Amino acid sequence: MRFTRSAAAIGATVALAGATAAIAGCGSSSSTGASSAVPAKLVVWRMGGSVASQVTWMDGVVKQFHTQFPQYKNTKVVVDWIPWGNRTTDWTNALTSGKGGPDITELGNTDTPGIASQGALANISSYVKSWSEGSQIIAGNLANDTVSGQIYGVPWFGGVRGIWYNKDQFAKAGITSPPTTWAALVSDAKALMTAYPGSYGLGAPSDYTNAIVSFIWGAGGQVAVQQSGKWVAQLNTPASEAGIKFYADLLLTEHVSPASYIGETELGTVGATSGGSNEDFALGKLDMYIDGPWAESELEAVSTKNESQWASFPIPSESGPNPAPAFAGGSDLGVWVNSKYKQADWDLISVMDSPSNATTFANSQGFFPEFTSALSSGVYTSSPVMSGFAKAAGYTQISPLNSKNWATADATDNIIPNMMKALMQGANFTTTVDTANTELQNVLNTGSES
Amino acid sequence: MTDSIQRAARPLWPAGPPGSAPLRVRIATFVRRHKLAPYLLLLPALAGIALVLLWPLIQVALYSFQNYGLPQITGAMPVQWVGLANFTTTLHDPEFWLSLRTTVLFAAVVVPVTLVVGTIVGLLLNRLGKKMAIFVSTAALLAWATPPVSASVLFYWMFSPDGGLVDWALARMPHWLVGSTDWAQFNWATTSALPAYTMIALLVTWQAFPFIAVTVLAGLKTIPSELNEAARVDGASPWRVFWRITFPLLKPIYLVLLLLSVIWDFNIFTQSYIIAGLGNQDEYNLSLYIYDKAFASFPPSYGLGGALALIFALILLVVTAGYVRSSVRQGALT
Repeated sequence: MRFTRSAAAIGATVALAGATAAIAGCGSSSSTGASSAVPAKLVVWRMGGSVASQVTWMDGVVKQFHTQFPQYKNTKVVVDWIPWGNRTTDWTNALTSGKGGPDITELGNTDTPGIASQGALANISSYVKSWSEGSQIIAGNLANDTVSGQIYGVPWFGGVRGIWYNKDQFAKAGITSPPTTWAALVSDAKALMTAYPGSYGLGAPSDYTNAIVSFIWGAGGQVAVQQSGKWVAQLNTPASEAGIKFYADLLLTEHVSPASYIGETELGTVGATSGGSNEDFALGKLDMYIDGPWAESELEAVSTKNESQWASFPIPSESGPNPAPAFAGGSDLGVWVNSKYKQADWDLISVMDSPSNATTFANSQGFFPEFTSALSSGVYTSSPVMSGFAKAAGYTQISPLNSKNWATADATDNIIPNMMKALMQGANFTTTVDTANTELQNVLNTGSES
Repeated sequence: MTDSIQRAARPLWPAGPPGSAPLRVRIATFVRRHKLAPYLLLLPALAGIALVLLWPLIQVALYSFQNYGLPQITGAMPVQWVGLANFTTTLHDPEFWLSLRTTVLFAAVVVPVTLVVGTIVGLLLNRLGKKMAIFVSTAALLAWATPPVSASVLFYWMFSPDGGLVDWALARMPHWLVGSTDWAQFNWATTSALPAYTMIALLVTWQAFPFIAVTVLAGLKTIPSELNEAARVDGASPWRVFWRITFPLLKPIYLVLLLLSVIWDFNIFTQSYIIAGLGNQDEYNLSLYIYDKAFASFPPSYGLGGALALIFALILLVVTAGYVRSSVRQGALT
């Protein structure tokens, strides 16, 4: 009888979701009248793991919130930390059950368009338009949070990936300056492996879209471009193919990346808490590691043995000298559609995302603020870890990773990770890339692979 | 019989005012004449099942013909009937066929292996002395009692390229024995479906054989020892004794075990969820595929999940029909 049980389990959950949706509907309609009420508490969903310095920063923000808006002096602000890997499931559950959702949520900037078009975020256009400090926000990034002319989120901080390395290891391997071409990147990786036998030169996990796109762009290719309102996928242009092939060959022909990264993200198996290229880098088993500056706290948690030697450089382009465009990652803040206190939500966001608070936050975490005024300061060039990333931040791209169906293409259908995994398993290059290209074009245009 | 009917009927029709007595008698007669008593007794249970099983099943069936997703739940978009669209989408998805193939191949390998290993251990238990039999059966049942989640994590660690026992041992063996793969860096869980399901097959066999062994042992105890003795006196080898005496007598048990194993191995979810994970779509089996489509995808599609649940239920219904038929045949259900 097990079949009925499993079928019924799905059925029951779905039925429950349906039943509570009706309740949720009532809740949100009655909440509009109370949107300016004073809440007893506000729930903020943050992504990732709790980091002490971020908690301290948030405590300061809440204090400011209470003084700046005396009417909320008794409002408690609760921060829930959501692991990145669980975010879509948790949003979905909060939306379907109508319960347990946040008032304010952080969103990856590639998530915002998709989540907004599913009806999970409140329209905050009127708040943003009357927000005096909002005019300083980098215009392109605010456009990313705009769906059909309505604003559903505000940019909070940005970040780019680069390549982490150890200064002392570079010196011992005779590398005088970080590589600026792919040829130099591979030869340096091999030199490091010779100097440190048993280590691998450069980690290339197959499930790592946000790094793979840099290699596509770094060869002059594009993932997809918009032509007269429709997406045209470009994974199989000669330039894009050169980037894809280079990344796969880090394992296949150059052997500078271990085979154990096939099917893994940069943090290891999906859902696992140990293993993965980040851990190997911190332990000294991997010489160069692709990730953003935000990885520092996780690397420190694994081992601080080599911390004083950590430094970064931008992902090189195929033939230099400028770096490859880095994916302009980052986080937004949005108001949850079922929140009863939208005015209070917005007031708290305006404190979290004030130019001074957002800049303090970004500086302390290795991110970049979203305000043009703050970006021009020289604070980033002084630290060895940050200087490489700061350089990379000058060359960024986001399209098509901010398109409405990107979350489906990448997080659900895993189109680029599946393609890279197949290539690393030795699948035929042309047919694998062509198939991925067709799927990508279909998903970007229709939301479905076929 | 009469007595039991009276007793069953009484709570349903409590003694009313004096005038109602003839009605009570008439109902009792009606129930008796149409042999309704067993059905009346089943009614409360059926009502319960209808509430928690049947109604959700009907809901699933309804959703499978709709475009039910997040915007429909929040009310941003109306629910629409989409006919067979969810079914055609599923049947046109190459991932569905890949996951079905993985599921079928997995069951085709693991079911016979489990049955053979279980039988061998069952035969062994039958011949061991009392103390040794207790030791072996306890050890086996511990494997059976280990929660699938703990067992999966245990196997994940054993096969991990980061210091796992299996990769460590394989890397130390000569190449002519284990091939030229770089075993020290071999990721069983994520590289591809074959290594992942090799690992899961070992895990599932390890956890499933004790049940087979104990059931076979129970069957063996029912075989009169004279039969075995007579065969042995006639000079039959143990192999011949098994195929000529033991197996024919245990055939009904094997039929049930076979069908149960097929159903269980088709349903593997916990192990594949933990070991293969949601990130590797080339390593999906049917349960993982359904879970992904219904809940883990963004945006989730409950309509698609409903259609898949129905298709999966249909496949297992065919197998279960065989199970019920064989159960009826050997009298287990009467």
